[in-house]
Amino acid sequence: MSPSRSTTRIRISLASGEGSRSSSVGLIGAVALHLAVVVVGLFTWEHRLDIAQDSPPVVPVDLVTIAQKTNIAPTVRELPKVEQQPLPTPPPPPPSVQAPPLPQLAPTPPPPTPQPKSELAPDVKPAPAPKAKPVPPKKDMSVDAALNAALNAPPAHPQTRNGRVAPTAHRGFGQQNANDMDLRDALRNDIEQCWNPPAGAPHPEQLIVSFHLNLNPDGSVAGSPQLTAESQAAAAGNPFTRAAADAARRAIYVCAPYKNLPPDRFADWRDSVVQFDPRDLTGQ
Amino acid sequence: MQRIAKVLGLVVALMSLWLAPAFATLQVDVNQGNVQPLPIAIPDFNGAPAGRDIASVVRADLERSGLFKPLDPRSFLEKISNINQSPNYANWRTINAQALVTGEATQQPDGRLRVAFRLWDVFGEQQMIGKEYTAAPESWRQMAHMISDDIYQRITGETGYFNTRIVYIAERGPLLNRKKLLAIMDEDGYNPTYLTDGAYMVLTPRFDPTSHEQRIAYMSYIAGKPRVYLFDINTGHQQMLGEFSNMTFSPRFSPDGNKVVMSLEKGGVSNIYVMDLRSRAVTQLTNTRAIDTSPSYSPDGRQITFESDRGGTQQIYVMNADGSNQHRISFGPGRNATPVWSPRGDLIAFTRLEEGAFNIGVMRPDGSGERIISTGWQDEGPTWAPNGRVLMFTRTLRGGRGSQIWSVDATGRNERRVLTQGDASDPAWSPLIQ
Repeated sequence: MSPSRSTTRIRISLASGEGSRSSSVGLIGAVALHLAVVVVGLFTWEHRLDIAQDSPPVVPVDLVTIAQKTNIAPTVRELPKVEQQPLPTPPPPPPSVQAPPLPQLAPTPPPPTPQPKSELAPDVKPAPAPKAKPVPPKKDMSVDAALNAALNAPPAHPQTRNGRVAPTAHRGFGQQNANDMDLRDALRNDIEQCWNPPAGAPHPEQLIVSFHLNLNPDGSVAGSPQLTAESQAAAAGNPFTRAAADAARRAIYVCAPYKNLPPDRFADWRDSVVQFDPRDLTGQ
Repeated sequence: MQRIAKVLGLVVALMSLWLAPAFATLQVDVNQGNVQPLPIAIPDFNGAPAGRDIASVVRADLERSGLFKPLDPRSFLEKISNINQSPNYANWRTINAQALVTGEATQQPDGRLRVAFRLWDVFGEQQMIGKEYTAAPESWRQMAHMISDDIYQRITGETGYFNTRIVYIAERGPLLNRKKLLAIMDEDGYNPTYLTDGAYMVLTPRFDPTSHEQRIAYMSYIAGKPRVYLFDINTGHQQMLGEFSNMTFSPRFSPDGNKVVMSLEKGGVSNIYVMDLRSRAVTQLTNTRAIDTSPSYSPDGRQITFESDRGGTQQIYVMNADGSNQHRISFGPGRNATPVWSPRGDLIAFTRLEEGAFNIGVMRPDGSGERIISTGWQDEGPTWAPNGRVLMFTRTLRGGRGSQIWSVDATGRNERRVLTQGDASDPAWSPLIQ
């Protein structure tokens, strides 16, 4: 009666439980087997689809012109002496030809650089450095007045109309902050495209040269890049350093004008000191 | 409160003014570049045909160095009529020339040829060199090489090497009856001349480094016995260095030209000896039961590098010029032979024997910085240019196809063949002429 019905119920529920368990087991097993097939397929067929990677080695080819055949002389003659003497420097070019000559390289002493104030003081109105110095607070000056004076001081960046270089005040280490990193990178990347460093020269540490570089707002080179005093002395005494200086100067000219510098930050990149260091590249 | 705020404001304002830059100086460090041959424009010199020929040799010299790229004269926009006038730099910048050479060759009343040239910095807009040479007209090739040396030196800082000659062994005849003649040619392969007639075998010629003499020392098998001889190129006079009862090998001059260092064989072992050419006194420098050979002086004459198998295999050793402090410097793989000290003193070139292949390498005199710089199957016997930058060596081709002379830069770049008439080997580079 009821127990038999309950057992029946129980049996039925057990049976259905087993059935559902077995069907879920079956489902899991089916999924697992499918997965296994996929995985096996990946590992074996992947290799079958590989294409052989070896290509024939690249053989560099030199195209060499065959020299002309020459007659074999019956005897070897002593080579006659050759006189040599330096040519006089050319006369200054006639007015129709070219721009005024640029300053000489080392060993002549460096011409006065455009840096110092003299010529341009009339053009440039507020000389930045002196006026930008903080006004020392005077004891008898009221705080209000001092604050107003400081807050109303003229801006430190005058605009220059012409392309000449205005006086600069080098304020030192505080200037190089993270904001200038992008400018340094931009200028460096540009110059590197054109720098043809001396490769294979001995003593690469003697080939490090530095230039003062002044740029115009359009990125062209203002005046002529000058070696720093230390580099000038090194170049005067060592033909390799001099050759390195020439190569660096050429790089500066060839890659000008520098168009990747933001015009609105001209004051930040107008003057630079560019150091060329070939140690990572030369010889070994 | 307000006052405090104002004071603070004043302080902040003052600080910002103090820190505000007038003009910042950007510090830029350039340490990557683009090593390229320098584009240079060399139009024909005025004064045909010598002017054209000289410019052609200068272009070929500079191109061969691997450091210059002479531009095609057909691309030039301007014809230089007067070399004493500054050129129109813009015309040369347009074709991307970074340097310009202008010149003229004129016949003098006494029959000599005067060659004048100027080297211009196109972007810097100024002259770099102005020079003239005068000589007999048949020396026009030499003058062209001297001009190439001037340009090379001014641009790279290195002394040049175009005004030099190569003495070598020219091979003639079939493989089984090969004759080896002593020959000499200009560094660019022109003007080859035979110095001996091949009646006897000649090996390992070496130049006297003192430039005013054109003397060679070499090994010869006259009367079947190998001996070291001195040969004067100008007079053709040959003299035997000494009556040695033993075989002598691989002679080399000292930098001052007064001594010859060589190896002498005795009882199956070979040691290094030095002979003073003035007194003919002979001094023994090494004394081992091994094969010590192939000695070469350092440019200051204070040390000698040589090859020895005293450690079991051929390796490179260095000792003082008096024979003291003999120590090994090569410890890399394989065997190392034929060391030659660079005239600049900073490198020793050698032949590396490894797994059946011979290649040219360089290392510093302390044995560090070893690099293999040639890529052939059998490259051996390096010789240095007088500027210590370029090397020549013998390359033997596979399959019995003969031997050639090749040159390569000490950095491993610019490996190229030196054209000779027929097979050639054992090159030796002269010092700069004059």
